[in-house]
Formats: sequence, C-alpha cells, structure tokens
Amino acid sequence: MTGLLEIPLVQKALAILVVLFSVVLAAPASAQDDVTIMLAHGIPDTVVDVVVDGGVVIPGFEFGDMEDLSAFAGQTLTALTVNLAGTDTVAIDVGDFAVPAEGNVTVVAHLDADGVPTVTVFENDTSPIAAAEGRLVVRHAAAAPQVDIWANDVAAFTNVPNGGEGQADLAAGTISAQVVPAGVLEPVVIGPAELPITEGETLVVYAVGSLEDETLTVLAQSIAGHGTAPSAVNTGNTPVDNGTDATALLLLGAVALVGFGMVASRRGALVQG
Amino acid sequence: MDEAGSGVVAVAAAPEADLPGPDLEPIVPTTTEAPVVRTLDRAVGRDERPLSPLAAQVVPAGSALFDLDAPLPASGPVPIGLTIDGIDIVDAPIVDVGVEPNGEMEIPGATEIGWYRWSPTPGADGSSVLAAHIAWNGRDGVFRDLDDLEVGARFTVHYDDGTARGFMAVEKAQYAKEELPFDRVCSKVGEPSLVLITCGGDFNRGLNSYDDNVVVYALPV
Repeated sequence: MTGLLEIPLVQKALAILVVLFSVVLAAPASAQDDVTIMLAHGIPDTVVDVVVDGGVVIPGFEFGDMEDLSAFAGQTLTALTVNLAGTDTVAIDVGDFAVPAEGNVTVVAHLDADGVPTVTVFENDTSPIAAAEGRLVVRHAAAAPQVDIWANDVAAFTNVPNGGEGQADLAAGTISAQVVPAGVLEPVVIGPAELPITEGETLVVYAVGSLEDETLTVLAQSIAGHGTAPSAVNTGNTPVDNGTDATALLLLGAVALVGFGMVASRRGALVQG
Repeated sequence: MDEAGSGVVAVAAAPEADLPGPDLEPIVPTTTEAPVVRTLDRAVGRDERPLSPLAAQVVPAGSALFDLDAPLPASGPVPIGLTIDGIDIVDAPIVDVGVEPNGEMEIPGATEIGWYRWSPTPGADGSSVLAAHIAWNGRDGVFRDLDDLEVGARFTVHYDDGTARGFMAVEKAQYAKEELPFDRVCSKVGEPSLVLITCGGDFNRGLNSYDDNVVVYALPV
C-alpha cells in the first residue's frame, strides 16, 4: 500500500522539480538578447519622473523621449508611478508592473480617449518581413475618438480606438498617411504625411496628444533587423568551359535563342513591375 | 547668452560664502533669470525623492518625436557603372534590381550588373551587393572572370551624380549556393563594404545552374 502512494508522490515531486527548473532556467535566458522593452513618453507638455518603490528611476522624462528598459525584462517593478517631475503629484498610478519577460514590447505613457494619462503595453511584431517590403504599424494613443487611418488614399485601418492599432506589410518606399475621425473624410487631424517604408524594417507610428487641446502629433519608432534576404543568387545558366568546342557553343546558343524571347519579356515585365 | 549667464548663477551661488575675496568678484552675476529659479526648484524636488539604484539600468533611447513636415532623407547616389581593370571590366552598366517572385535575387542580362536596391549604395554603411552572371544564354557574363580578381586589386564604382569611388578587394570566397552567408553578404549595418557575387564551381547541366557562388568582398579605399 505504501508503495502505491509513494510512486505518485515521487512523480509529483519530480514534476514540481521540473517546473521549478524550467522557471529558473527560463528567467535568466529571457532577460537577455531576445527581449526589447522600450518606454515611450507620449503626453505632450508634461515632464515626469518615473518612480519605482519610492525611488526615481527616470528623472525628468520628457515628451517624445524613449528609454530602454530591457534590463528589467521579467521583473516586477513594485509601486510604479509616473509623477509630475520633481513632485509627489502622481499622474499615473500603475501599481506593481510585471515587465514582459520576452518579445519586443513598447510601453507607452499616453492620454486615453478622455484625456486621462494612462499606460499601454504594445507588442511589436518582429516576425520576418518579406524581401522588398517594410512593415507599418499605426497606434492610436491620443485623447481623441475612434479614428480611420488612411494610407495612399485607402482607408487602411478603420474605427481604431484609443489603445488600438493597425499593421500592414507594404512595398518598401513611401506612403502618404493621414488620420481622420472614424467614418468621415474631414477634418484631417494628423497629416497627410509622407512616411518612409524601409525594406526589412518596422515603422511604428503613434498618434499622441489631445484633439481638444490641439496637441495631436506623432511619435515614431523604427525596429530594424527582421527583413528577409534573397533566397539565392543564380548568376549563370551557361557553362564556362575553356575547353568547350564550337559545336557545343552553337548548340547551346540555339537552345538559348529559343528560350530567350520568353525570358527577356518576363524579365522586362519584372523590371517594370 | 542668457543661458550661459544663468549657469554661472547656479555654480557661483554656493561657493560664494566659502570663498570670499576680491579675486572672485568678477564671477558675481549681473542678472537673475526666471529659468534659474525653475531649475533650482526642480533639483530640490528631486533631491527629496532618492534616485533608485534601478536608474543605472535604464538606457536612454533618444527622441521619438517625428516631424510630419520634414522631407524624407534623400537617398544617396546610386551606382551606375563598374570598372575593374584587372579583369577587363570597363564601365559596365549597373542597374538596380530586387527579388524575383520566387525569392531569388533578380539578375540582369549578360552585359549588366545588378545592384540589389535593398542593400546600401556602395560606400554607405552596411554591405552593398553587386551581382552579375558568369555566363548567360550562351555568352560570357560581365563577371566571367571575377574569380581571377586578386585580393588587393582595386576597382572603381561610378555613381549617377557623376562621382566615382575606389574599392579594394580584401577577401575572395567560394560557397555552395545554399551556404552563401546572407547575414554577412546582405548586412544592413556595420562598416561600409561592397560584395561582388557571381557563380562558380561545377556546372549542373540538369539544372542549367552552377553549384557555387564566387564572392569578392571589398572595402572603400
């Protein structure tokens, strides 16, 4: 009887140990290279201190600035508050803040739809972007109603609420973007602006500020290094052979001529496209 | 100038009592500006609340402010020609290319060199990629003799703004095609380098393709 009881207990103990080990192993690994935690300040005209557990972690944090908090990945920042700089006036009471342990994350201090300061954690998609494309992410972090985001005269993202976002992979180049209140064409509240779509990079654009206070503006963050290289470089369909005799060359030439028109026209189309 | 004067106020205020003497008289400010008061107030406020030891782990990441009206940065000059005396390439035309629908790098015909338009212009930060055929449709390609280029050889890239720039081959390598190190060849960061690519190795008559890539790495002179 005792034997029957012991076996599950041992299994349980092992299972617990396995769990503990994986937690212990996961923690340090996650706090290293593969994680990026950025903090962005998206509240215009407001200098703040970021306070953790009574101590100032970021003094004099100004609108538009970004701070890299990757060192805190996986940790809990206790009693996190955003205070007006040099004062005890709490602008945002975040409470205990569990910093994500992995991924690419941007934490944004911004105004909610009603103009109240808040904090939103956005996850950045760093999955590979196809060659010749770039990724555009647009985030609504402004004191404003739902918006439509137009790109190149197309309503790309509609009814985006405060805290919401839209994302698309686009041909590298530039696009013209503008933001309007949802469902209407005017007034244009941001833009139109030319945005660079850089091959292999993500451009994250944040609409911040307040519509009512006429402080609407844009913050931008670039995330590079997740593009895709060509899969191969094929630079020859004909053997180079110093010993090749004239007959073989003529044969090759004949074969090549048959296919040449097709290849050439296909290539022309590609270059034009 | 007001800014500079204000700075003197802040610095001079404290030592004034400790270090009396006519020698220090010139430091005494002539004006007191409102910004000084604000600066001092804020400093006092911060002193009341201790700086957390965590502060040392925060890394400033610059400003994300984006000027909607600013013109986009102009792209640099585009390469349009290549001259490599050692292997008889005389101002061979360079065209910009992208990728084929199947993901392979687009390569122009036998007489032209492709500059991968998603790589930096030659001489800019990162690795610029120029590729051309060794042989195409029965005729020699521009890079027919690339494998003969010696390390140390110099050559010239011509740009669309009329300028030219010298490069020097620093390394030559041959890779099985599937082992071409794209991380290095297509790096968008790091010191400026230029990579010349063609084919080499055995010719596979079944695939009408070479087994290897021949790569010359070069640096600006």
